Amino acid sequence: MYGVHNLMFFFVVVYHVFPPELVESDEEFQQSLADALVDETDFTVNVRLAKSLPLPVENEESRPRIDLVVFIINLTSELSFQSTEASLKYLDPGYFLGKVCFMATNARNASVPTERLDAVRKLAASLHCPLLFAEDQTPDGVANATERLLTILKVAAGLVPMATPLYLSNLTRCTVPLDIDQPSFD
Amino acid sequence: MAANQSASGSSDSESPSLFDSSSQPAPNSRSFNRSVRVAEKERRKNEAEDPFVLALKFFSDVEAGTPAFGNDNLERNLVLVERVAYSKGLSPEAISVMLEFAMSLRMGTSPCVRVLKCLVPASVVPQEAVVRAMVWLGVCKIPASTQVLFIKWVLTIFDMIDAKDQLRAIYGFIFSFVTEEYLCPFVCHLLYLLTRKESVRHFRVQKLLELQSKLGRQPFLLHLLSLYKVFCPEYVTLSIPSRMKSGFRNHNSPWKSALIAVQRRNGSQIASSASLPSTIKDKTSSRKRKHYHLELPVLCSQVNKQAQTEPSLGRKLVPLVQLSSFTQLLDHMHRIELPAQMGSLLGSSLALQYLDCVQDEFALLRLNFWLGYALHEEFLFCGDGRASNSEEALQFLDKLLSTQHFLQESFSSTEVFLYKFLSVWDGSLLRPQILSLLSNIPVVPSSQIGRLLFEPLMQLFFTSSLFFKCGLIECLNSMLLKWLVWHSVYALEDDLDISLNSHTSVNMTLSGFKDSVMELVHFVGRLASVGLQLEGGHSLLLSFILDFYETVCDTFLKYGLPLIVMFPPGVFFPALLSPDPVSVDRLAYIMYRYKVNLTSAKNQEKGTEQAFHINRQTFREFNHYLVVMVSCLWNSRMFHSGMGVELGEELLLKSNVPQYSKSFDLVHHPAFLSYAVDFHHKCWPERKDLDLDSIKQSKPWSWYLEYLHNQGYDGLKQIVPAP
Repeated sequence: MYGVHNLMFFFVVVYHVFPPELVESDEEFQQSLADALVDETDFTVNVRLAKSLPLPVENEESRPRIDLVVFIINLTSELSFQSTEASLKYLDPGYFLGKVCFMATNARNASVPTERLDAVRKLAASLHCPLLFAEDQTPDGVANATERLLTILKVAAGLVPMATPLYLSNLTRCTVPLDIDQPSFD
Repeated sequence: MAANQSASGSSDSESPSLFDSSSQPAPNSRSFNRSVRVAEKERRKNEAEDPFVLALKFFSDVEAGTPAFGNDNLERNLVLVERVAYSKGLSPEAISVMLEFAMSLRMGTSPCVRVLKCLVPASVVPQEAVVRAMVWLGVCKIPASTQVLFIKWVLTIFDMIDAKDQLRAIYGFIFSFVTEEYLCPFVCHLLYLLTRKESVRHFRVQKLLELQSKLGRQPFLLHLLSLYKVFCPEYVTLSIPSRMKSGFRNHNSPWKSALIAVQRRNGSQIASSASLPSTIKDKTSSRKRKHYHLELPVLCSQVNKQAQTEPSLGRKLVPLVQLSSFTQLLDHMHRIELPAQMGSLLGSSLALQYLDCVQDEFALLRLNFWLGYALHEEFLFCGDGRASNSEEALQFLDKLLSTQHFLQESFSSTEVFLYKFLSVWDGSLLRPQILSLLSNIPVVPSSQIGRLLFEPLMQLFFTSSLFFKCGLIECLNSMLLKWLVWHSVYALEDDLDISLNSHTSVNMTLSGFKDSVMELVHFVGRLASVGLQLEGGHSLLLSFILDFYETVCDTFLKYGLPLIVMFPPGVFFPALLSPDPVSVDRLAYIMYRYKVNLTSAKNQEKGTEQAFHINRQTFREFNHYLVVMVSCLWNSRMFHSGMGVELGEELLLKSNVPQYSKSFDLVHHPAFLSYAVDFHHKCWPERKDLDLDSIKQSKPWSWYLEYLHNQGYDGLKQIVPAP
């Protein structure tokens, strides 16, 4: 569809390794997502994984252009959210013009406090970034998450004519937390 | 174990039967009796050596005041019971014994929690045991947390209690616990499940209101009050919001997974030992195949046998389960007794017919409560984070969908569930079912529609694949269709006021309804314009969008809604310039239907005084589109000023396209070029070189139009009739 574009995509995954039993599933999701993204055949996707920002100073010179930064937040862990919040500070403001997106997992888990979900929504809304929800437990869920990230990626990398990253980000950005429970229908 | 169960089942869960005329099962011969006795003896002998039976004996015989700490006997027996409980579940007698042991605090409070946690019933729970335990709750000094645990347990196994009449008899006693602040939410939930019209008393309402003023507007109090209000509106003057926070929280977590595991393992046994006489044939067969926790409960009566067979009780209620035909339903319509588990209504078409005819508010409230609970538990907040894409979840939603299809309306609990689910949906989990449920929701007030529907959908739409985009447009199209059909059915002509969907009690004025429809159409217009832009005008997406506008353009004539909304340029131009002839033709058809609708609306406007007023802007938009379409396709005047698509003269010259204004007429349009070439060959077979311009001469032109019409492009024919 797009021929062979040798585009570089840089994909930062921020998550925190806590509690210990979650490590495996989190890393698994991160890895399977990365694998699926690299398998994309229309164009080349490079994925970089990181556990937090800032990135190490070492290869700074040779580092490719970053087209999209994705923060994966595991909602069952408070630290995952905290480390995302802490990492955001190190991101250049320019990225917030359509090159950042949040992906939350485990949103349907009963153990997730509503306050945390609200906090994540508020965070994404305050930065005018999209917040996607993903089902990381099933292969279908991972495939779908990959597909949605690629959709955003294509626009963020400028592959879609007449659409800019900011345009899409503005269309899909997270809005203020929903409060459906409030009785307001009358 | 199985033998033990079935023997106990016959005494404990004696089920109401259609053919039972006497309270005693008539023994037909003595030899039968003897064989029963022999079998019983045999069983006892076997059981005497069974360590589990011995363990139960220990718990039933243990003296009050025996120390629990360091008691090896207790430890050994308890481990044994726990093992059986978690593997096979406990029989009704075992439940009685263990519950009695725990609640009487015979060995102090410490083993009590442990015993309660392992009370996983294999089949049913005897009502007497629960009643006794309730009594202990009032007598003993049980720690608060254990009391809560007990009530939670009762709530979890509520549907497995074999009868509820005695529990209802001690309604007042249970009610007295609402004053305990820590117990209140759970007791309210239990009362909610037990309440009948007789239970609603003025002083109870007073008590709840008093509590509410003390504790604030707690959802559990509101839910119970709303139920009281349904039964006795004269007692509860409080205004209850029509949509409430899900009142009773999930508290079956300690037992749920164990219960599911046990039920799965014993699936067939339970089905046979419970052996409820179901007159709905297809249910029984499916019941035997699988016994999943999500499966709809079998329709069964809520009063036990004694109550039913004694006519002296006065209220001769006919349980739904005893009815087998529609005529019977009609005969007993005024004294139908609802089943214990409202979920079972979904599986029975007779029950649904009853629900549809009677519009019983109580039944709907209970059904909605059950459904909201089930949906919330199973799909929104599955405790262990397991994927709910399983077969049973699919079946459950399909069943729900077919019920809604049957009733032709949605349940308010589904609606509330959907709004919540959409906000955390990944766009792929159970997509077909979720989109179908979504298309069923009743009209959403225009003040809410953006927040509840459009915001989550917009984000999902623009970040998801082309197929999701198509699916969502299709879903919104069928949603609009249903709204329009509701309107044409429920609209009252005299005051132009419609009451939509009697169950959700959302009354809407005509202008409110129009606003909602307009919001929906505009929303799809936005999705369509930007979606086409992002997908490069994909013809599959375009086709779904044109489907939607085929509904929109006919709102006035087909559905009698005085509202006409035009499509945005972002839809018109991609369709007009589409390389696909079908899209162009469908666009022409839609334009033709708009024209018919607008003309007839205008005639009506002239004829009657109070007819609706169409915005002049709509006429202007339509005329503009029509002019663009005709001058582009027929008159070869593309790119002229005022055509919508305006390009600079120099730019057009630079493109090196000769006679660019002709490039989108019916001959040169990319969608029709192949037809023009074909026509050229047919018309002038002897010509060697292609001169498409010759088609534009007056005679061949009319032949060409005729030729296009013969290819099936009727839309084009309707917009400019052949000369």
